[in-house]
Amino acid sequence: MPGNPPPDPAQRDRAIAALAAIAIGIQILEAAIPSPVPGIKPGLANIVTLVALLVLGWRAAAAVTLIRVLGSSLLLGTLLSPAFWLSLAGAIASLAMLAVLRPLAPRHLGPVGLAIAAALAHTSGQFLLAWAVIIPHPNLPLLLPPLLLAALITGGLTGILAAHVLGDPRIQRHVRTRKSDP
Amino acid sequence: MNPIGLRWGDAVIGALASALVIAAFALAYFPAGGARVLVISQAGAAPQHEPLDRRRTLEVTGPAGITRIEIEPGRARCAESPGYRNICEGSGWLQAHGDIAVSLPNRLTLQVLGSEPGFDSLHY
Amino acid sequence: MSTESRMLIRALTLLLAASLLTACGRDEPDTEQLSFYAFGTLVELTLHPPGAYDIEQIESAVQDELEVLHRSWHAWEPGSLGRTNELLALQGEFSAPPSVLPLIERGREMEDLSGGLFNPALGKLVAAWGFHQDEPAGPPPDAATLDALLDNPPGMGDIERNGVRLRGTHPDLQLDFGGLAKGLAVERVLELLGELGVEAAIFNAGGDLMTLGRPQERAWRVRIRHPRGGTLGSIELGAGEALFTSGDYERGYDWEGEYIHHVIDPRSGRPSQGVASATVLHHDPALADGAATTLMIAGPEAWPEYARRMGVEYALLVLDDRIEATAGLAERVALDPDHEPLVVRELP
Repeated sequence: MPGNPPPDPAQRDRAIAALAAIAIGIQILEAAIPSPVPGIKPGLANIVTLVALLVLGWRAAAAVTLIRVLGSSLLLGTLLSPAFWLSLAGAIASLAMLAVLRPLAPRHLGPVGLAIAAALAHTSGQFLLAWAVIIPHPNLPLLLPPLLLAALITGGLTGILAAHVLGDPRIQRHVRTRKSDP
Repeated sequence: MNPIGLRWGDAVIGALASALVIAAFALAYFPAGGARVLVISQAGAAPQHEPLDRRRTLEVTGPAGITRIEIEPGRARCAESPGYRNICEGSGWLQAHGDIAVSLPNRLTLQVLGSEPGFDSLHY
Repeated sequence: MSTESRMLIRALTLLLAASLLTACGRDEPDTEQLSFYAFGTLVELTLHPPGAYDIEQIESAVQDELEVLHRSWHAWEPGSLGRTNELLALQGEFSAPPSVLPLIERGREMEDLSGGLFNPALGKLVAAWGFHQDEPAGPPPDAATLDALLDNPPGMGDIERNGVRLRGTHPDLQLDFGGLAKGLAVERVLELLGELGVEAAIFNAGGDLMTLGRPQERAWRVRIRHPRGGTLGSIELGAGEALFTSGDYERGYDWEGEYIHHVIDPRSGRPSQGVASATVLHHDPALADGAATTLMIAGPEAWPEYARRMGVEYALLVLDDRIEATAGLAERVALDPDHEPLVVRELP
């Protein structure tokens, strides 16, 4: 995979575990801060997913994300509740989007584009689940456009933040095969 | 050199995502409901289709008198109709897909349709 | 161009194409419609598949059937029911016209089921309010007339039946099957359509309708009008479902600033109050018709109790300030976005 996994599997597992722990922490902090608009969250934990994707590859990003969804719902006590399923649906949708776009990064695509695409996929995935299964209300589609707009904005912000994290020299050490800027 | 590693793909995704958001707003809040055609059904006659393209007035004669129908781009209304409770006029502008007005004295139903499939029947 | 950028473009094109596909894909209408005037109202037939039937034959057969029923069942014009009413008033035994017997039987059944709220024997009360004429008009009955009509009022039990022989036992007994006749007429027309080989159709008589079969690949789509103008929402119907509404807007007149409508509450002897319209979905059109009238009379508080008694699972009532529905119908109606959400009432 052109995502350059570190050679040592044990080190790689430790990195995944550490990233997942950070992601769970961010998600729980975010859950503790009330959102001004219900249903819209900044999704800062996605920074971790992006870092994992660009440093360790898609499998690692998937592992980090799924552990985050499971771990944070365990800690928040929402396991198997609608909130958990919505979170999982969003995670799976955004991971699928990242799998499609991964081959284009980093040459043609940076963290900002990845983050925006993933955020839109996340929102759409959640929405589809909500509409099809949880509350099939005919007026629900009217909520989708503002949610997508929010995803576009928060996705862009997460992307910029992820780019800054990736630019940090302490992370940069791990990004060995990343091609230098033209 | 840009600090956040922007590539041309980011621009493409940004543009597409914005287009998607705009399209979602347009589709949800100006749905196929943007009515396009007025269907006038009168007892004993085949339904008449009138495109909602320009401003004009139609008069349909029924057993109780004349129903005057006003058409404007994207909407139509029953402007005047015989019938004592003004039920037909009371329906106001018909502009969302499926909106209806009925004039029983003139044995007439008016329905505007957008691009979605129409309705099979009207319950009133 | 690199492979990656080609891949990106292909992925994006696919995405775009998929979104366009979901937005388009409309087809030709898969039904044909005919409308005519019969049974004193606007009648519409929606037939599926289009082009499969002899439209003229169907139209004349349905029209003839409805004319016969309209004449026999009319509450104040001369006909079978008119003659029956004259003979019932004489209180002697007579042979009933066959067309009237099913009305009397279903009328009895509805009176029982509705606990007397639906009482077809109160024709005199309806006539006193000025509704036994083509254009209803006042004046409303004065207090003395109302008191006399409400003192020991007749019921369906005041008709003795022995085979086809009937005898009235109450001097004020006068039958009026408004709120039931249309349901029975719909039932007859659907039978007739079946005999004519129609596989799928909606028969709509002045807004009350019933489905016969359904197109194979989709449900019937029906738009529901709001009793105060505009639309309320829409509903998908399967095979053999009747949708009937009783509303205060259907017939009425203004008298001294008050609107007098045609649904008379037998308890007060006056037009029912608090319900603008009651809609019932049921597989039996006569029951749907009778129950719609009953729920309207029952009023905003008691209607769920009467819905349960009559075996009505799907009902919707437009009240002065809100729209109430049973859980069953609330689930099936797609309300237009500009209405407040339905208030769901549990059946006791």
